[in-house]
Amino acid sequence: MAWITKQSATEQIERREEPYLTDEMKRAINEDYRPRYETTMACLLPALHLVQHAYGWIPRQAMLEIAEILDVKPADVFDTATFYEEYWLHPKGKVVVSVCRSIACEFCGQREITQACKEKLGIDVGETTEDDKFTLIELECLGSCGTAPAALVGETLHENLTPARMLEILDEVSKEIDAGKHEHH
Amino acid sequence: MPKKTYSDSLERHWLLKNIPTPPFGKISDRRIVSYDDYVKNKGYESLRKAISMTPADVINEVKTSMLRGRGGAGFPTGLKWTFLPPVKDAEGNDVKDDEYAGREAPVTERYLAINADESEPGTFKDRLLMDFDPHLVLEGIAICCYACKLSKAYIFIRGEYHHQANVLENALKEAYAKGIFGPKGLVNSDSNTGGPRFQVDCYVHRGAGAYICGEETGLLEALEGKRGWPRIKPPFPALKGLFGKPTIINNVETLAHLPDIITHGSSFFMEQGVESAIGGPPSYGTKLMGVSGHVERPGVFECELGIPLRELVEKHCGGIRGGKRFKGAIAGGVSMGILGTDQYDAEMDFDIGRKYNVLGLGTACPTVFDEDTDMVAVARNISRFFKHESCGQCTPCREGSGWLYQLLTRIESGDARTKDLDMALEVATSMGSMPGTTICGLADGNNWAVRTIMNKFPDEFEARVRPTYVPVKMSVGAGAR
Repeated sequence: MAWITKQSATEQIERREEPYLTDEMKRAINEDYRPRYETTMACLLPALHLVQHAYGWIPRQAMLEIAEILDVKPADVFDTATFYEEYWLHPKGKVVVSVCRSIACEFCGQREITQACKEKLGIDVGETTEDDKFTLIELECLGSCGTAPAALVGETLHENLTPARMLEILDEVSKEIDAGKHEHH
Repeated sequence: MPKKTYSDSLERHWLLKNIPTPPFGKISDRRIVSYDDYVKNKGYESLRKAISMTPADVINEVKTSMLRGRGGAGFPTGLKWTFLPPVKDAEGNDVKDDEYAGREAPVTERYLAINADESEPGTFKDRLLMDFDPHLVLEGIAICCYACKLSKAYIFIRGEYHHQANVLENALKEAYAKGIFGPKGLVNSDSNTGGPRFQVDCYVHRGAGAYICGEETGLLEALEGKRGWPRIKPPFPALKGLFGKPTIINNVETLAHLPDIITHGSSFFMEQGVESAIGGPPSYGTKLMGVSGHVERPGVFECELGIPLRELVEKHCGGIRGGKRFKGAIAGGVSMGILGTDQYDAEMDFDIGRKYNVLGLGTACPTVFDEDTDMVAVARNISRFFKHESCGQCTPCREGSGWLYQLLTRIESGDARTKDLDMALEVATSMGSMPGTTICGLADGNNWAVRTIMNKFPDEFEARVRPTYVPVKMSVGAGAR
């Protein structure tokens, strides 16, 4: 979502004792990313990616920690994090199923794919299953128009989908989750 | 000699020389080209040739070739490069070209931003290069950095391209290890003296899912860690770009053309493609064309510019799916508008916009629709995309895209009245950088897509709406009483 309405300044930040940024992440930000750019602000996107990759979403406290380590205003971090669609500002399921709904996919059978996912998972688009395994979303072009319809399951792209194949993939990934893959901290 | 009209004379693939693609290879043979494989196939020899020339000569060669940007706008690449201000030394004096080679690092940082934020629906051509032949892109980057004397290159890749980002990262590691980039890289050290030329580094920077970051100044904002709001131009990025420093922004495919232009010279490049039939600038070279939608074999093909859409679909893609008839095709990424049923023979070159009433060639990735397609649904899908991706900076785009989507949804569901058609056209026409109401061209894409569909398929829209007027019983003419 390119632009969203923010909560007011009265928002309470949930905190935990243990910091979200691990030593390894701090090292990556300071040693890998910082020398690349002229400003510390420019490390924001990579830093947010780090947190998102580790926890599956970006808690407010992590944003404050990033602001501190990069020496930028927390509002700037919040500003950037809310703009980009890929950053999750609330917890999501272990695996996000993102079905492409753009032009080639829609006219090559995306609706059946979404419908199959909905029925299989028992949720609507934008919701998370009760067991916290899957979050189902629809998003714009994945860049696989030649192999439509396509869906991104976790970080893996699946192309030339049929509803039956989609169900198989969900079963496979579900087993992977049970086996302890796709775990966040 | 450059040729005037299109005839298929491609004897081999240039951009896809290492990526097997019909008719010169089998798709099943594709695999990631490693550094060693790339070098075996004369890889990085263009870079060696380029650094034996002066930077000015390299720019001249690219300028002569009339290479036009492959990202959508078709701006001449060589011309863009000449907008850069001269390099300054420590005392603030201009550094002349002949003094340049063998020099210590330039004082003013200058940047290259590589636009790999391929987010336009229907477009999937750059992905192929990054998927399988990352070193071709890196070689192009190195040549560009040398020619324009740029110190750092950032590959801005869209967040959804997880796999491609990994491929590029691995290729970069190889390139650093083998001495292409880095402090002692091929570009950086003078082969005669062994001394440093100047430092070039290249990094992958992942975006996070915002179409607007494909707009060049939006991309710069995203690189700086801000929200991807496009900037007002001027100042143009060549003077004040990333971090306020001179910056060149080029598309992945544009850079991938550079090695061949340097190796074989600009005249080779001009042998392919066509002259403009309407007196505009020519469209030379080959182009990656990604066909999607209702065709038998969709995919990315390398063709000479000027290939008729019909030939592209019938010869390379096996025709329309299920033997059906052609109804329309998005010209090249949804923002470019639609080619009507009678425009199946449209030539895919940079003149397409003026000749066939679409916005332009765009990325030359047509999405083809068969006769059963509901064009109202197409318009609705496209307007939903733009509503979703509008960055919210300019009011006409932010509000107008939402209005358009609502109007088109209403038309599709059959609840609309005739006046809604006029309102949709009015909203569409009033937003964009061409009416002058927005900063960037995103709203123009929305505008052109919706307007061309409504103008080229008016019957479908009119059939869906109920009349606005109040019916009155009256008779007119000779029999009137």
